[in-house]
Amino acid sequence: MSLASGPGLGGSSPDMLWADKHVEYIVSLDKRDDEYEYWLTEHLRLNGVFWGLHALHILGHPTALPRDDLIRFTMSCWDASSGGFGAAPDHDPHMLYTCSAVQILVMVDGVSVLDEPAEPGSSETKRMRVAHFISSLQDRETGTFHGDKYGEPDTRFLYNALNSLSLLGKLNLVDVPLAVKYIDSCSNADGGYGTVPGAESHSGQIFVCLAALSIAGVLDQRLKDDSKWADRLGGWLSERQISTGKGYGGLNGRPEKEEDVCYAWWVGTSLVMLQRSHWIDRPALRKFILSCQDGEHGGISDRPGHAVDVFHTHFGIVGLSLLEWSENKDGEASEPLGLEEVDPVYCMPRSITKALSRTG
Amino acid sequence: MRAPEFSSNTLNAISKLLAKNPEYYTIWNYRRRVLQALFNREGAPPANLIASDLQFLVPLMVQYPKCYWIWNYRMWLLDQVKTHLELDQAVQFWKEEVGLVGKMLTRDERNFHGWDYRRHVILQLEELQQVSMVESEFEYTTKMIRKALQNFSALHYRSKLIPRLLSERNASNTDRRKLFDQELDMMQEALIDPFNQSAWFYHQYLMSTLDCAYPAADLIITDLLDSDRQRYLEQEIERIKEILEDYDDCKWIYQSLLQYHADFAAYVSTPKDEVGQWLSELQRLDPMRSKRWAHVQTILKL
Repeated sequence: MSLASGPGLGGSSPDMLWADKHVEYIVSLDKRDDEYEYWLTEHLRLNGVFWGLHALHILGHPTALPRDDLIRFTMSCWDASSGGFGAAPDHDPHMLYTCSAVQILVMVDGVSVLDEPAEPGSSETKRMRVAHFISSLQDRETGTFHGDKYGEPDTRFLYNALNSLSLLGKLNLVDVPLAVKYIDSCSNADGGYGTVPGAESHSGQIFVCLAALSIAGVLDQRLKDDSKWADRLGGWLSERQISTGKGYGGLNGRPEKEEDVCYAWWVGTSLVMLQRSHWIDRPALRKFILSCQDGEHGGISDRPGHAVDVFHTHFGIVGLSLLEWSENKDGEASEPLGLEEVDPVYCMPRSITKALSRTG
Repeated sequence: MRAPEFSSNTLNAISKLLAKNPEYYTIWNYRRRVLQALFNREGAPPANLIASDLQFLVPLMVQYPKCYWIWNYRMWLLDQVKTHLELDQAVQFWKEEVGLVGKMLTRDERNFHGWDYRRHVILQLEELQQVSMVESEFEYTTKMIRKALQNFSALHYRSKLIPRLLSERNASNTDRRKLFDQELDMMQEALIDPFNQSAWFYHQYLMSTLDCAYPAADLIITDLLDSDRQRYLEQEIERIKEILEDYDDCKWIYQSLLQYHADFAAYVSTPKDEVGQWLSELQRLDPMRSKRWAHVQTILKL
């Protein structure tokens, strides 16, 4: 999966979704390994596969990439000795790619490959080794998680850990109440959360903290008990929508910053989790995302006139799905785009997470 | 990365790779392993190796200020200082970081990597030297806010420093009131531009001191009487209404009036007509968030 940007620029008509073009664009990314930028983005390959595959699922083309190739590539990024996945074969293991790998395997219904022995003759399964890699990165004093053995902790990794461990059915390996306590220590007067205690609120960080609280099973109760907090945070998030100038309808990640398509996800899904997605102008956000499409070659950019890439294509598509499904639920359906529903907590197709919660 | 070779030649080759692509996190890890091997070899003093590596990072940080891996690698390098050098020398290394991150934040005053890094460096220096730096950090936020009154990052940091500052100063009730007054005055000045949303958020943070439901440890004033609350609320609402005289097209003014009315109805009463008028102005000026204002209407039973 190439993460090279372009070739096209976003800036299409804001009234329609070029779904088929986006499918073509994503599928073609795999064939661009003759470009220099393909190799410059090798550090993101497994994330790129996740973004592309998930966008295809939401676009209603879950099998557009060959399943066997996806499983083979994902497992080629696995480091048997540590149990973690790297961005690409022979890259060092890291939480970010381990989470993407588990999500990819679940999406292609291939997670049973992890039930093989970790090594020939070993009594330990690959699943157990992956789960141990993740749980070993929890700081048992504070409850937060590191990304790998070298790096600093970040609430992003805490979310990755809870997300992937719960998909693997191994959440019991980590101290979930301590992780919740840590998230609370990262909260700020504006109701939001940062990377570590004391850090500034940021929409991406708010998403990971709310989603982690949801996986930990405490979010619903908090919304019931503390509606003032939900109002305060929901208010802060709703002010991320730009109401003047060329960014009209788009969202930024922090006060006084520029709009970017990816915040349709980070802000949008946080508002959905807080049950306040109607606090922004959803049709205006939808128009903003649609205006970032390349209607000719497919793909979505961060803002109109910029080069498209798979990251923004993914977050644009899942953002549109959030809008469509939350509007439906509120009985405010505008022109349907025909997208599959995305799970706001897991960032995966709802049909798949629903099936998992039935069997799990 | 297999069959590693650890030498200074390897280090140079790695530098070239990273200068082309600093996102290549596996190469940063490889660099860590090479350096660790060199630390344990005779000949090259760790201080020199670390100093030259810190130097190598500077242009990369300037060119790629949002690259997580570079910041992470720098923190790791400085952790090595603690392991391999004497305390005095280690402190010197960390102190220089304060200057560096100051420069980074001058180039981009909102870079959250920079702010996170600053807090990390300060925490380490406080631990290594067993001293508090809360006063000088508070001063630093004053300087940054004076430069740009809408710097949300600096205002956020300030809100986190204030409870510590007061406790370390052993601030008396009078001192606490004085600081509270100073902060409110500073925001009155910032809100000469009422479209400054960062200032409104900070103002909200200040006003939470008047809220009985707020955790006591975070309060700026701890001995407030209801009569004080009333006085402060009247003063702030009066000030906000003054801004209204010059700007009748700024939604933030109405939003704040409604917010404080909702939070503190027990202390100040406003005629229902006037509150209703604020709300309809807000609805008119900010249709994008009309459902949120409808929710406010329900809460206020208007």
